[in-house]
Amino acid sequence: MSFNEPIHRSENHRAENEAGNGSSHPDSIPPPFTDDDFLPSEAVRSIPAQPDRANVLLYIDQVSKWFGNVHAITDITIWANRGEITAIVGDNGAGKSTLIKCISGVHGPTAGQVFLDGKPVHFTSPEDARRAGIETVYQTLALCNDLTIWQNLFLNREMVNHWGPLSFLDQRAMRRRSAEMLSRLEVNIPSINARVRRLSGGQRQAVAISRAAGWGSRLVIMDEPTAALGVRETARVEELILRLRDDGLAVLLISHNFDQVMRLSNQIWVMRSGRLVGGRRTQDTSGKELVSMITGAQQEEAL
Amino acid sequence: MGKIRRGLGGTSLLLAVIMAIAACAAPQRTTSDTDGDQAGGTDTGGTTQPVAAVIKGLDNPFFQTMQQGIEEQAETTGTEVTVQAANSLGDTTGQADRVQTLAGQDYGCFIINPITQTNLVQPLVQVANAGKYIVNIDSPIGEEAAQAANLEISTYIGTDNVQAGRLAAEEMARLLPEGGDVALIGGVAGDATSQARLEGFQQGIPDNIRIVQTIAADWERQRALTAAGDILRARPDLAGFFVANDDMGLGVVRALADVGRQGEVKVISVDGLQDAIRAVQEGTLSATVAQYPYAIGAMGMEACQAAMAGETLPENVTAPVVVVNQSNADQALESFPRPFAEYEDPFADLLGQQ
Amino acid sequence: MTQATTSPSWERLRDPSFWADWTAAVALVLLIIGFSIASPVFLTLGNIQALLLAAAILVVLTIGQTYVILTGGIDLSVASILTLGSVVLGQAYSRGWGIGVACLLAIVTGTLVGLINGLVIAKGKITDFIVTLGSLSAASGAALVLSNGRPVQIADPFLLRLATGRLGPIGYFVILAAIVAIIAHFVLFHSRFGTHLLATGGDTEAARAMGINTDRIKITAYIISGCLAGIAGVLLTARVGAAEPASNTSFLLNSVAAVVLGGVSLFGGRGTVIGPVVGALLLTALVNGLTLLAVSQFYQPLAVGIVVVLAALLMRYQQ
Repeated sequence: MSFNEPIHRSENHRAENEAGNGSSHPDSIPPPFTDDDFLPSEAVRSIPAQPDRANVLLYIDQVSKWFGNVHAITDITIWANRGEITAIVGDNGAGKSTLIKCISGVHGPTAGQVFLDGKPVHFTSPEDARRAGIETVYQTLALCNDLTIWQNLFLNREMVNHWGPLSFLDQRAMRRRSAEMLSRLEVNIPSINARVRRLSGGQRQAVAISRAAGWGSRLVIMDEPTAALGVRETARVEELILRLRDDGLAVLLISHNFDQVMRLSNQIWVMRSGRLVGGRRTQDTSGKELVSMITGAQQEEAL
Repeated sequence: MGKIRRGLGGTSLLLAVIMAIAACAAPQRTTSDTDGDQAGGTDTGGTTQPVAAVIKGLDNPFFQTMQQGIEEQAETTGTEVTVQAANSLGDTTGQADRVQTLAGQDYGCFIINPITQTNLVQPLVQVANAGKYIVNIDSPIGEEAAQAANLEISTYIGTDNVQAGRLAAEEMARLLPEGGDVALIGGVAGDATSQARLEGFQQGIPDNIRIVQTIAADWERQRALTAAGDILRARPDLAGFFVANDDMGLGVVRALADVGRQGEVKVISVDGLQDAIRAVQEGTLSATVAQYPYAIGAMGMEACQAAMAGETLPENVTAPVVVVNQSNADQALESFPRPFAEYEDPFADLLGQQ
Repeated sequence: MTQATTSPSWERLRDPSFWADWTAAVALVLLIIGFSIASPVFLTLGNIQALLLAAAILVVLTIGQTYVILTGGIDLSVASILTLGSVVLGQAYSRGWGIGVACLLAIVTGTLVGLINGLVIAKGKITDFIVTLGSLSAASGAALVLSNGRPVQIADPFLLRLATGRLGPIGYFVILAAIVAIIAHFVLFHSRFGTHLLATGGDTEAARAMGINTDRIKITAYIISGCLAGIAGVLLTARVGAAEPASNTSFLLNSVAAVVLGGVSLFGGRGTVIGPVVGALLLTALVNGLTLLAVSQFYQPLAVGIVVVLAALLMRYQQ
């Protein structure tokens, strides 16, 4: 199913979109609210670029997440394209983590809708999201130190041989495939039988990214992938991220490192205090502009 | 709010469980007469106060029989009694807490079987200060500690464990007229009771019997079994075992059965449990030196009754110890848990004088 | 191809953590050499048979403890469950329910206590230490209530044969313990559950992030521990020929010591089955050897303590 096909065929919605602030919504995707009182936030309206329908993989439509009275994120509308790196930037507490948790199935959004490949999706667990092709590389990497590299790559996706009612791990096949997964991304690691405990930070990151990319996934979310790494290792991991992009995956990158964001990304979304401040194509913006958007200084000019 | 409610729910559930358990468990405080209506011992003068007993543990038949002795003796005179016990033989502070709890209540006399020589001294001071009687049974309260705390013990009734060991040694000498090597299996290393029994045995054996080894099996049957097997392998010519209690003794018997040497290697243990006497009857256990926890308990209760009736108690009373071997096992089993032979009971005389 | 898929054994031998995992084996070999020099009886077939027989119950118990500790927990109730299982067996048997039913009931009881442990720990989010401490007390209390504090003699031919019978030179007990150990090893290293168990113990958050139901894994570990403690209860009853409500505290301490000696991390996620089995053998061999040598009763606990601490130190240095 392509993104262009309308999902809800409500003429009302379409008319509303085309007539009103259609700039923020592709016309095939209606806003989830029909309540007339509801007005999309100013921030959403201010987004300059329109989604490139053919390439959009992930579309987040006016997603909000409240924890009781705490509005962690409100009315976020962003998208991410295939074969592109989409960055989300913002200060601590801007709501980036909550947003990616809403995408990766950790949280269900309080309001709004997530579309993947034009289809509305409802994830009740990270498992759901993973099945749909959304993988997340957590800041903690979610690697088990005492397991080997191949065990980690196949964690909870183990290959088994059946033996009557019993099933045994097919270690040989998993080792072979692990080697393939790593070599496809040109990850250089001494032995897939090594325990993760013995790897450097960059190697761990590489293993975690390989795992995220290795399961037919379409969208890889990365939370500060290089925050804990040295210069050389950072460069390696960045190469790896670019390789994922070249493979046609959509990459959602959360980073504090403007330099990195400017270097790697194609599209940048800026968040502040749980709301979307704006979005830019990377080539159309500058680090200076991003800073002002993040901090809220000179907001008017920025917009 | 939800949290509070959940907390309340949990608390009330807990309360319900506790009450259910309390309801299930047999009432601790038993009025001895079974008829119920006929409340509180009229036959000893109507003024009898209830008696509290705190013994070592109830997970062992020895103490259960002791409890039985206390309760049955109470029953004969209609004295109300509460029997409490520590959780285990290692629960010294728990036992002290129980005494402490009971001390504040209206018991006229305390029957006390302390786990160690000192663990009950502190709470007992309170008991003594309130002018209540303390009858010490089975294991003694340390004399020095009692003196230091100015604690007056009305009487001590106990088996002489050294004497028990000596009797076992005599029996062993009778069984092994030619002499031979014997091994000793004790309880927890350093335990006073175990130590006294082993010492008595060492004192009592003739020169032609040699003690070749002493092992601590921590009062556990399984450990005694394993240790006995090991010893038999290291010393195939071993002639006998002296074991510090019956439970372990039965473990040793099992070890002998495993190698088909039952009856050939002599085993003597101490306590006089029912199962041990049966084993003696069958000839698998050579002898058991029977102590009568029933008699100890009963005498403790008698002592309390006598003390509360104003009698002066003798300071030290030795409870009966009898060797049960094949010649008298039938008899011993028949009268179990009561001693099958007459024994000296000064308290019965005191009560009789009334 | 950028990875070497081979794992040369030489590389493993140079890895200090390999030695840490095998501390117990090294210590056992040293102990065997020492004892066989000191006592001519030690290495005889009869003594080895007896040693293995005596170790069997501890081995079964230790394997359950290993699974729990691998999840990063601890099961303090194993010895009490063993006692409870034994008492349930005794009560069922003395009511004439047949030995098969009695044994089954003992194992089911153990499994149930394990299930309760697991549920309270995983779903109630209460520390394993507290929960199993509670069930330690509750299970031994239940054993006292059920048995009314009295031991039951059980002279059943089936149990007797189980305890004393042999297949060739090897006792049934030993075969049973070996089967349990082999199954436990395969489950740990060749099943999805085993990998998930290690992942849960090593890094619960990571395991959860990868979609592993860590609660279910933990509950299963406690169930396994309870079930094996129930089986150990049957073995104990068969061995001593009686079901006693008395506590077997030495089993608890020894099972934990054996697991630690076996190179299993107390933080979970890392360890083997063979290691703790060797640890259990080591502890049994130590007592056996000291008994053969007629070492004084006062020195035995001291010797056991020193060996445990030395082995732990060795492990620490090699990590």
